[in-house]
Amino acid sequence: MTSMVVGSNLLVDLLSGPRPAEWASLREAAEGRLEGRDLPTTKDEAWKYTDLKALAAIPFGAAPRATVDISAYLLPEMVGTRQVFVNGHHAPHASCASAVPAGVRFLPLSTASEACHALGSVKNGLTPELFEDLNSARFEDGAVILVPKNLKVALPLHLLFLTRADAPVAVFPRVLVVLEPGAELELVEEHLGEGTYLSCPVVEVRIGEGAILRHERVQRESPEAFHIGTLKAEVGRHGQYHSRTLSFGARFSRQHPWVRLAEGAEGTLDGLALLDDQQVADTHSFMHHAEPNAVSHQLHKCIVDGKARAIFNGQVRVAPGAQGTDAKQQSRNLLLSETARVDTKPQLEIYADDVKCSHGAAVGQLDPEELFYLESRGLNADDARNLLTYGFAADVLQRVPVASVRRALRQLVMARTQAASLGVLA
Amino acid sequence: MLLIKNLTASINGTPVLKGIDLEIKAGEIHAIMGPNGSGKSTLGKVLAGHPAYEVTGGEVLFEGRDLFSMAADERARAGLFMGFQHPIEVPGVSNSSFLRLAYNKKAEAEGRDELDPLEFDDFIHEKIKLVAMREEFLDRSLNEGFSGGEKKRNEILQMAVLEPKLAILDELDSGLDIDALRVLGDAVNRLQRADRALLIITHFPRILETIQPHYVHVLSGGRILKSAGKELALELEERGYDWVLEASAAGGAR
Repeated sequence: MTSMVVGSNLLVDLLSGPRPAEWASLREAAEGRLEGRDLPTTKDEAWKYTDLKALAAIPFGAAPRATVDISAYLLPEMVGTRQVFVNGHHAPHASCASAVPAGVRFLPLSTASEACHALGSVKNGLTPELFEDLNSARFEDGAVILVPKNLKVALPLHLLFLTRADAPVAVFPRVLVVLEPGAELELVEEHLGEGTYLSCPVVEVRIGEGAILRHERVQRESPEAFHIGTLKAEVGRHGQYHSRTLSFGARFSRQHPWVRLAEGAEGTLDGLALLDDQQVADTHSFMHHAEPNAVSHQLHKCIVDGKARAIFNGQVRVAPGAQGTDAKQQSRNLLLSETARVDTKPQLEIYADDVKCSHGAAVGQLDPEELFYLESRGLNADDARNLLTYGFAADVLQRVPVASVRRALRQLVMARTQAASLGVLA
Repeated sequence: MLLIKNLTASINGTPVLKGIDLEIKAGEIHAIMGPNGSGKSTLGKVLAGHPAYEVTGGEVLFEGRDLFSMAADERARAGLFMGFQHPIEVPGVSNSSFLRLAYNKKAEAEGRDELDPLEFDDFIHEKIKLVAMREEFLDRSLNEGFSGGEKKRNEILQMAVLEPKLAILDELDSGLDIDALRVLGDAVNRLQRADRALLIITHFPRILETIQPHYVHVLSGGRILKSAGKELALELEERGYDWVLEASAAGGAR
């Protein structure tokens, strides 16, 4: 059995259900592009390190509606600003938008008007990835967020996507975020679940002139899950988009963040992946400096243990005429075992001459000098290792603006790095 | 307190210490001076247990115990402290929580009560006065983004928190301006007691104006070439190191 045949079966399976009625033209276009396509194989350059055979072998079905107790996942800052989706369907009883300020639209897609919210309108000129098209063809629900001009939303909004299934299911969450000029928003997007499933979210973001979005993305899928996500953000003149993607779960995860910066805009694509056992986490990012004087930062960190594997491919394009570009990219990776593996590759395409672009990639073990420093203060070798590993990850978490999220993530990282017993989280 | 007998050590197979003899008694302050590359920082690192150095011969007793039978962290908990020339940065771990962790590890080893965060808060606020450190440095990540001088201030704060029996201070003066050097020198003096000892490793005699040693040793080529009282520091300030090296080569410096 070749992977190509299996791949075709997977796509046939996933597309076998009825096509939802809304957003027909978006779905038709996606289905058209999917026709005759197969799952990518390791022969495709962009999928060289990520073998989807295991994914192709699983018979995913449609996800049933379910009622789930979400009390464990509530965040104190966002009690009245959350939309919850269970198995891809909106969960009205678990959601609560009572504290959302007037004028802000924060709705499930299923109740939003198609005419007002053009999904698929953030276009990057690239052929959509197969998984993005799958989402467009089959998404059931998701969220629309619209912040009107100059409104600065004080409370963060929380999107929770929970998947829980007895038999393998596929879910396709869809999100559209539109910030009108001068608006400001903090958004926390969480994906978690139990069991075997495929989650293929697509998040589209449009940021108007001078608007600011801070976007925390937390992937805590189940250890048996597959997560393949697409993010497309268009940032207007002097707008800012700052995102941090934190990957802890899933046996296989892949992130496709794409950001386009207009003149004077600012973009951040930070990432942290904590991997163990046989986990694979792949990030293929694209930072597009389309116009002059934009600034971008990327700090991508991976901690890889066991037989896990991390892949980072960071593309930065500076378009012709995008003078005054300032682009920084750092890929830093910590290998905790002999069998862990990291493949990291920066890809810079610079078509302007007056630009500042820096990039760096480092893969290594803990620094013996740093270990010695901590040991010379009385920490034993294990404690010193755990503390440094925690510190390596916590560096990315320091700038998470929502306190409860920051605390929860630190605790998660502490538990994973065995640093919890050190009590450094006062 | 510390007895070093014919200590030899190497790094990557290259001998760096070629037979060091030194005794430091409780209450004493010793200074190790020498030109760059003399091996003086190596001596500090070997004593503290740096893994890159191999002890190839000799013996060191710390409070009567074989120092080399203890790992670096055991030495620290037993009361040996080294202030680093280049302290490392640990992002994500707050300075105060690290200090509390180090304090509690030592307290645990000595059978004393550990301090909870509130108790430690009171304790550390007294200690930062000693080194004139601003409170904000407690909440920042350990040494992250600290200037050279701020890192040195933090080293002495750690010393004040851990209250070691023997403190080895490696190039404390590098990266410090005159005022900071005086503040930290005074702090070190105030921490010194009859049951504690100090080993100051320095290239420049300036620091020894504040922390006045009982003994000064000139180390070069992995050996102690000359030992004398604190007046030797003044002589080195005036004449440099060459005359000691030359006299030693001629066989007369000892």
